[in-house]
Amino acid sequence: MNRTLIFLLLLATVIGCKPAAEDTSEEQAVVNVYTHRHYDVDQQLFEQFESETGIKVNVVNADAGELIQKMEAEGEESPADVLITVDAGRLAKAKSSGLLQAVNSTTLEQNIPGYLIDTDKQWFAVTKRARVIVYAKDRVQPEQLSTYEALTEDQWQDKVLIRSSSNIYNQSLLASIIANKGEEAARGWATEMVDNMARTPKGNDRDQVKAVVAGEGDVAVVNTYYIGRLLNSEDPEEKRAGEGVNIFFPNQDDRGTHINISGAGVAKYAPNRENAIRFIEFLSSKPAQEVFAQANYEYPVHPEVAPSELLQSWGEFKEDKLPLSQLGEYNKLANLVFDAVGWP
Amino acid sequence: MSIPTLYIVVQFLRGPGESWAHFAQYLLPIYLRNSLYLLLACGVLTILIGVGTAWISTRYEFPLRRSLEWLLILPLAIPSYITAFAYAGVFDYGGSLELLARGLGLEMPKLDIMNIYGLIFILSVSLYPYVYVACRAFFMHQSQNLLEAAQVLGDSERRSFFRLILPISRPAIVGGVVLVAMEVLNDYGAAKYYGINTFTTGIFKSWLDYQEPITAVYLAALLLVIIFGLLLWEQLQQGRKRYTSGTKDRKRLVRIRPRSTRRCFFTLLVALPVILGFIIPVAQLIYWAFLAFDVINWSDIFTMVWHSLTIATLAAACCVCFAVALLFTSQWNHLRSINKLAKFGVLGYAIPGAVIAVGVYVPSLFFEKWLIGVVKTTFSFKIGLFLTGTTVALVYAYMVRFLAVAHNPIAAGKQKIQATLSEASQSLGKNPVATFFKIELPLLRTALLSAFILVFIDVMKELPLTLILKPFYLKTLAVEAYQYASDERVIESAFPALMIILTGVLPVIFLNRLVRQD
Repeated sequence: MNRTLIFLLLLATVIGCKPAAEDTSEEQAVVNVYTHRHYDVDQQLFEQFESETGIKVNVVNADAGELIQKMEAEGEESPADVLITVDAGRLAKAKSSGLLQAVNSTTLEQNIPGYLIDTDKQWFAVTKRARVIVYAKDRVQPEQLSTYEALTEDQWQDKVLIRSSSNIYNQSLLASIIANKGEEAARGWATEMVDNMARTPKGNDRDQVKAVVAGEGDVAVVNTYYIGRLLNSEDPEEKRAGEGVNIFFPNQDDRGTHINISGAGVAKYAPNRENAIRFIEFLSSKPAQEVFAQANYEYPVHPEVAPSELLQSWGEFKEDKLPLSQLGEYNKLANLVFDAVGWP
Repeated sequence: MSIPTLYIVVQFLRGPGESWAHFAQYLLPIYLRNSLYLLLACGVLTILIGVGTAWISTRYEFPLRRSLEWLLILPLAIPSYITAFAYAGVFDYGGSLELLARGLGLEMPKLDIMNIYGLIFILSVSLYPYVYVACRAFFMHQSQNLLEAAQVLGDSERRSFFRLILPISRPAIVGGVVLVAMEVLNDYGAAKYYGINTFTTGIFKSWLDYQEPITAVYLAALLLVIIFGLLLWEQLQQGRKRYTSGTKDRKRLVRIRPRSTRRCFFTLLVALPVILGFIIPVAQLIYWAFLAFDVINWSDIFTMVWHSLTIATLAAACCVCFAVALLFTSQWNHLRSINKLAKFGVLGYAIPGAVIAVGVYVPSLFFEKWLIGVVKTTFSFKIGLFLTGTTVALVYAYMVRFLAVAHNPIAAGKQKIQATLSEASQSLGKNPVATFFKIELPLLRTALLSAFILVFIDVMKELPLTLILKPFYLKTLAVEAYQYASDERVIESAFPALMIILTGVLPVIFLNRLVRQD
């Protein structure tokens, strides 16, 4: 018995340590990417980058908060070259923790509009999503809708669906309201939103859409990305849910619809700085942006690349061009407000 | 082994982060209420299900008993967050239940499972096997003599169960329920998805949203205090009572054949937890996997399975060896302090995986950096991150986390070995170590294997700790499944999830045969 165990132990040790040994012996050009995104389209682009440049892409996938903690703990020894996160709020956190470095690249500045770049050039957006209002096709007229603020009106009493405040998209939405209209207004908005909620926040963005279709509420605040996913789901029932709602881009007559980005920055102690810059430049390049646009229901950031047909069918809209670094600055305040008004 | 726990204690003594007052004011009462409620409700439910099924399936003969006996363990193979996702899929809008009702032409009232009662249900049906396994082994081997004695003295079947068997099986029940409690407190994925804020979601919130690891550690420490209190309370209650059987011939429990209506009732009753905890979620996953069949990347799946299997084997082996070492060194050296230390080390199971990850990560990184510095200056040689960059730190963290899982069955097995055996061996001139290899190790065979398998399954399912500590090249099933699910692509996550279940089910079947042979 114990012989079997010892054998298994030895076997597992050998197997467990093998890849580590390989890593140190090779002198191949690499770029180490810490990413929160785990989409097949990213994998596809990484492979394309590998075959074009010969630079191997190593990936660590985890929650952005965990990655930031990890980089902070690793300090100067960190193997990370590039940090990719979903939502600007998290990039701003990484920046304020001193984990990123400024990059001067004309390529990046040509490919990406200025408001989607950090003011100190420490991070760059690679894709966009809009946080929109979806409404039940059969019960709501688009004329009833106007802004995020208007969701607090009495007509939406117990009709609004939105997910929990632990979600970064909601934190960034509230941060954008704080940045645009001040803390008091934001606190008031959050309080009244809680009053109008159809149910205690739970589940993810898809679940909010399904709840609208199921009649639990009439309107929901969700990301465009997830509508794209629902409409293309392998599950016919999810498809039906996606088809049961329409998209409304709020705040078109004032500041514009709130957008989230996925973005990348070069790590402060990047051991492969040049490869890291090349990597981000590649992601912002026209061919890569076209892949993002077609495969992942996200809006490309490159001005010359058109979104996919589905996204175009939702129409063009005015974006809130608030410098996205501010989402990070107000993130903590947004969290405090959420807790204080009892938004679970 | 206690380094992570100690690190947390030290951080705790430094005081909380700046948001602590905010947490204490708005969130702590909610965390406390939800966590305690979950603990209590899941504790009661798992005892009911676990003890009930264990007794019925060891005491009575009924149709399908032999299959149900091992089927009852299977919910252990499914991570509770996957059960939670699957059940949400069942009760969802356009979910399986609605489709079924539509197919039958029925109008179904909308059932909402995504609330605290739903969570209690999910956690109970996926965790009761901890109680079941502990009690079944006990009933099988320990109760026949007692039962005979009681019935000779005129006790009825019912009375002897409630008055005699139940009280005497207390260590087994408590052992199982403690594991349940720790799993409940560690759960993150299910609670988060169902929108229930518990201590663990709070730890993640303070750590990730507020970027205050210190506040997270503070919350974790508070949780530790609660758990420590519970364990202490149990110890006090148990007092100086000793639970060892005096007889040498342990008889197997004799089965009773009840009346036929009752037999069918028993089959149904025992099958219910299996259906709820295993068959329904697996059916939902299979349905999803079927929908997603075209997008499955087979070579990825193969890599994931291989990585998961090797890392789980390695971690389980390490845990078992260490648990044995802990248990026996205290005996050989008559050091009671090691016993206490062992209790402390075993606490790792109660600490949320994410916090252990920090507790492991920060100190090992500190050590690494120091060693890198030394090696660089003395040998001018670069060694890189040899702990956190490889599986070493990960396996170490698994050991911290799952030592209790290996410790408990081995400790229970050790208790069953009669002291006279090793005393005899020692009086014949063998030293304690030789005695260990000749007498105790062979006798512990089953316990060791059960411990190994339990840790193996737990590692296969483990999520938060793996997410943080896994090196670049490691891709495990649990991580991939979770990442798909958390990205709202639950359908794509179904296949890796099914693979976790499969790699968990096979060892469970093996474990069951082992217990039966013993």
